[in-house]
Amino acid sequence: MMDRVAGRMLEATVLERLGIALASITTAILVGLLAVTASGYNPVLFLNNLIVGSIGSERVLARTLRLSTFFVLTGVAVAIAFRAGVFNIGVQGQFIVGGICCTMSILWAAPLLPNGTVGGIVLMLLGTVAAAIGGGLYGALPGVLKAYADANEIITTIMLNFIAIGVVSWLITNPFRAEGATNVRTESLPDNVGLPPIVFGDSGFSVIGLALTLVLVAVVAVVMTRTRSGYDMVTSGYQASAAVYSGVDAKRTIVTTMTFSGAVAGIASALYVIMFQGNFIEPASIHTYGYDAIAVSLLAANNPVGVIPAGLLFGGLNSSGSYIQTYSDVPVQLIDGIVGLVIVFVAAPELFRMAAKRTGLGGDDE
Amino acid sequence: MTTGNTPPAVRLEGITKRFGDVVANDHVDFTLEAGSIHALLGENGSGKTTLMSVLYGLYDQDEGEIYIDGEPQTFDTPRDAMDAGVGMIHQHFQLVEPMTVLQNVILGHEPVTNDFGFVDEEAAREEIEAISTRYGFEVGDHLDVPIRDLDLGTRQRVEIVKSLYRGAEILVLDEPTAVLTPQEVDRLMEVMEDLRADGRSLIFISHKLDEALTIADDITVLRGGTAVGTVPASETTEQELAQMMVGREVLFDRKPRETTPGAPILEVDGLRVTGDRGLEKVSEVELSVREGEIFGIAGVQGNGQTELIEALTGLRTPDSGAVRFGGEEITEMTRRDRTEAGIAYIPEDRHTEGLVMEYDLVRNGLLGNQTIAPFVKNGFIDWEVVRDHTEEIIDEFDVQPPDADNKASSLSGGNQQKFIVGREIGHDPAVLIASHPTRGVDIGSIEFIHNRLIELRDQGLAIVVVSSKLEEIQKLSDRIAVMYEGEFIDTVDPNAVTEEEIGLLMAGQRLDETDAAETDSGVQT
Amino acid sequence: MSASTSVLEYTQHRRVRLAGLAVAVLAVLGAVATAVFDVPLDRIFTPGYVARSMELAAPITLAAIGGLYAEKSGVFNIGLEGFMIFGAFFAAAATYFVGTGGAVHAWIGIGMSVLLTTMLTVLFAVLLIRYKADQIVAGLGVWFIGLGLVPFTAAIIWGSRNSPRMPGVGRVTVPGASEIPYLGRIVFDQSPLVWLTILIVIGSWVFLYRTRYGYWIQAAGDNPEALDTAGIDVNRVRYAAVIFSGAMAGLGGAVLLAHSSSFVGTGQTMVDGRGWLGIVAYLFGNYNPVGAAAAALLFGGVDMLQGQLQTLDIDASPKLLGLLPYVVVIVVLTGWGKTRVPSSVGEPYESEE
Repeated sequence: MMDRVAGRMLEATVLERLGIALASITTAILVGLLAVTASGYNPVLFLNNLIVGSIGSERVLARTLRLSTFFVLTGVAVAIAFRAGVFNIGVQGQFIVGGICCTMSILWAAPLLPNGTVGGIVLMLLGTVAAAIGGGLYGALPGVLKAYADANEIITTIMLNFIAIGVVSWLITNPFRAEGATNVRTESLPDNVGLPPIVFGDSGFSVIGLALTLVLVAVVAVVMTRTRSGYDMVTSGYQASAAVYSGVDAKRTIVTTMTFSGAVAGIASALYVIMFQGNFIEPASIHTYGYDAIAVSLLAANNPVGVIPAGLLFGGLNSSGSYIQTYSDVPVQLIDGIVGLVIVFVAAPELFRMAAKRTGLGGDDE
Repeated sequence: MTTGNTPPAVRLEGITKRFGDVVANDHVDFTLEAGSIHALLGENGSGKTTLMSVLYGLYDQDEGEIYIDGEPQTFDTPRDAMDAGVGMIHQHFQLVEPMTVLQNVILGHEPVTNDFGFVDEEAAREEIEAISTRYGFEVGDHLDVPIRDLDLGTRQRVEIVKSLYRGAEILVLDEPTAVLTPQEVDRLMEVMEDLRADGRSLIFISHKLDEALTIADDITVLRGGTAVGTVPASETTEQELAQMMVGREVLFDRKPRETTPGAPILEVDGLRVTGDRGLEKVSEVELSVREGEIFGIAGVQGNGQTELIEALTGLRTPDSGAVRFGGEEITEMTRRDRTEAGIAYIPEDRHTEGLVMEYDLVRNGLLGNQTIAPFVKNGFIDWEVVRDHTEEIIDEFDVQPPDADNKASSLSGGNQQKFIVGREIGHDPAVLIASHPTRGVDIGSIEFIHNRLIELRDQGLAIVVVSSKLEEIQKLSDRIAVMYEGEFIDTVDPNAVTEEEIGLLMAGQRLDETDAAETDSGVQT
Repeated sequence: MSASTSVLEYTQHRRVRLAGLAVAVLAVLGAVATAVFDVPLDRIFTPGYVARSMELAAPITLAAIGGLYAEKSGVFNIGLEGFMIFGAFFAAAATYFVGTGGAVHAWIGIGMSVLLTTMLTVLFAVLLIRYKADQIVAGLGVWFIGLGLVPFTAAIIWGSRNSPRMPGVGRVTVPGASEIPYLGRIVFDQSPLVWLTILIVIGSWVFLYRTRYGYWIQAAGDNPEALDTAGIDVNRVRYAAVIFSGAMAGLGGAVLLAHSSSFVGTGQTMVDGRGWLGIVAYLFGNYNPVGAAAAALLFGGVDMLQGQLQTLDIDASPKLLGLLPYVVVIVVLTGWGKTRVPSSVGEPYESEE
């Protein structure tokens, strides 16, 4: 079933995909505005807040870009799996596991290394590798269960998300809890760990982080389109039986895909910890990047490069969410609802095709 | 069999059906006389099934009229056709595998005991048993068996019972013999005669000339969506029908070969393979294929050919026995390693295996070659090299239209198959395993592929061909092994056996012990 | 006969072995609990425990039955979790608006919830069937919409994502019979919603295996063409099954609310994965309503276990114990992956190409 589903999603032409993505977003936001109006708030003000809250000042722009890097990276993680026909809904869990691995490995290794910049760089590399390994292994687990025990990965990854939140939450309230901290969190990372704030001031966002994100996207894009492993994965996603015929080990490819996807989710979390958070907090209160990433990836038709604009859009939406929470009474959960609507609409391209045909806009569509 | 007053059971006038730009039926006229069997002959893709789908209400015709018993009819759904007494036995059985025979027969026409829709099983049972007894079907004996536990011949009889249960007076059988053993075919012919004797009218769709001549009263030939002509079966010959079907003389003859085979290159000893359902599908098979030889494997589908091929190509691990390639044991070698070693493979199903339908031809050109230099070096793909190679294949194998950027799905079956053949022999393999190399391919492409295979054999390639088409096996092979229930029941010289003899072997009867085999033949499951 | 076939089937395959495995896991857990924490088992498996487990199992069972009908007809309703969230919320909101005085209001809330969730599912079904939406993606979308719009609306109504206290439906106590040792509490002093659930389980089994409509549902999921050529409109059957699945998930959410004291809209909301457990329950029960109910009872029992252990002052983190059902799901799926999925699930059906 999975490869057929993935196949159907990938069928449309580039232009059509773009049209469907735009139509989905517009419709979802319109429904959101309707909900705002029905709740007795001013929709024009809400729309204004959406824009001002995402690009209205240097401060919110930095926040938008910061959130975008997380959405882009988690979105790429989802895209890898979806392209290969594996439904990894577990990016949130892989993100959390990657993050705690990153945080703790840095905290443990810090006393062994010098304090300066060099020590900091080594620690950050170490943390990133630990995050990739942690996220990768946590992704590999449902991959192995799917490949060798035929366990539906949609359900196992969602269960593993719940488990990751529970276990990591327990870890940071008990053995890993920072001494004397008022809220539940780990110790803070040493001062030499962190990305220098360039262009934007101290806002938990660094242009270096953005650059690293783009590099990673490029690497993933090259792997998926120009390497044998990528070809094997994508072919499995389009048509698993043809991949097997061509000599691809289907089971191993599932595990590889999930590991790769989980590792990217882990790296996303390393960036989150190192660039922004500086420690690890109660996982239930971390934004659901891994779930929103599903929408990001689908909007981008699971294309790693397409994830960049989709991620920016989600960064903007969520950035204005924070703004709305502070400066208006509209409950911020509306943004999550809009994300859900985007997903539903992206799932039904036929809706827009028919609408386009009926209004005469899509005459050249097949 | 026709009296002046009885209107024909079915009359189709000027039926036209288009799919997009493709005209599947072009003003087809067709008349089925009441109480007769009318064969509808034609190659794959000639429009037989489309025409019958129009008759059965599955497709709406773009033009034309349908008359049943002289009355004009409009069939929007199969239900309308059924209500008018038309029943159809589809090529792919319309049976729900986990449900029982009884549930399948009454599906959509369930007798109920009350308004809540509770099924009256007893009433259904009685009626089905009455039908079964009338035509001597054994279907009545396993009403509570799920369909998935029945063999194909029995499933087909379930389909016939289903149509009769629904009150069909006109039965359309779409390629009913394609999946049957020769014995089951004989049984089907008897059933069809009984139905005709009972006053029912039958349409028999086939591309097998001999069957049409044996059973039918009239024969209509379709070619390229148009009706070429209708002839009484008693006044025509196989040769004439074949000519009508393909539009020119077809020679079924073998060309004598001028080269001699070399040393054995692919050998198999005592091979046992288990199939998907945990049953042993290949039992103690031995074979040895020589360089410059075509080794044909004949047999009714499902007798272990698929599993044997999978074991040869590395897609399935045998339970015991050995596969040797050039003297070296490769039993445990993966598909990928075997490809690199020089074992090429034309798969059984080009739509699901041989091609990725959504990929263009360039990306399909890499399929199976992912580890082979110069296409891939150090894990990186050189798409320029792949494109050049793809264009060579397109050129050399006359793939139409000749554009490497076309999606595989946009090509016709014959061109898809030519592309696969070209790709698989592209890098000088030592062994080629070809599974149904011309299935669903037009006549022109069949000849092209056959000639290429013979050419390659003469250049020293060892080829294993599996096909359910006897004439193909006979035309190509230097030796023919007949597979039956997982074993090579015999290996014969194609020049020394008749098609009938191979047919007997395919049914499990050894040529030298026909007497003994008769007692065996009762155990047909 | 068909019934005996399915019952036979039910006992033949790996199911029994797995149920055995599940029981074994529980037994081991029990043994560990006894040995390590020195707890007498009879203090855990009290009649109250069993009765409460059934209460917890009821919402999961209802979602599972809805889900299995949809999937048997060929549509994977992965939005069960989302529809349960809506169901719980609609029940709370309806009760809140008619009055929170007593059981009558709770019942009105349940009725309204089923009605509203069903209407919502109609939209979902149209999207899946008419507009051929990707079932998995759209189902996930429903979950996210539930997680977003429900707390949003809750915050608008109540000024908080959680509702004020809601009335329950109480228990039906049969005088005299409820005094029977052990069984009395479980059977004759039970939530009426548990009884309703049991009736629905039996009814849906009979409907599926004894009526023509049940045949149609099975055929629609396994060989829609066979149903189509038998003259039955496949998509109508699918619409009916999907809408029913939404109604059941909505009812499941409403039952969950009725068994709690108020609506909780924070985090994963009060539904907290029970819709997903419902999917696993029917896979585990091999698409048989009775099997699904048994699996749901297992999950309910595991869920209740943590509360039970806590009341016994056992020194184990409630946070970690709360993860038990999820772990059980993974273990079950891993040992159980080979459920035979109807062969046409996920494919939109068109009678003319």
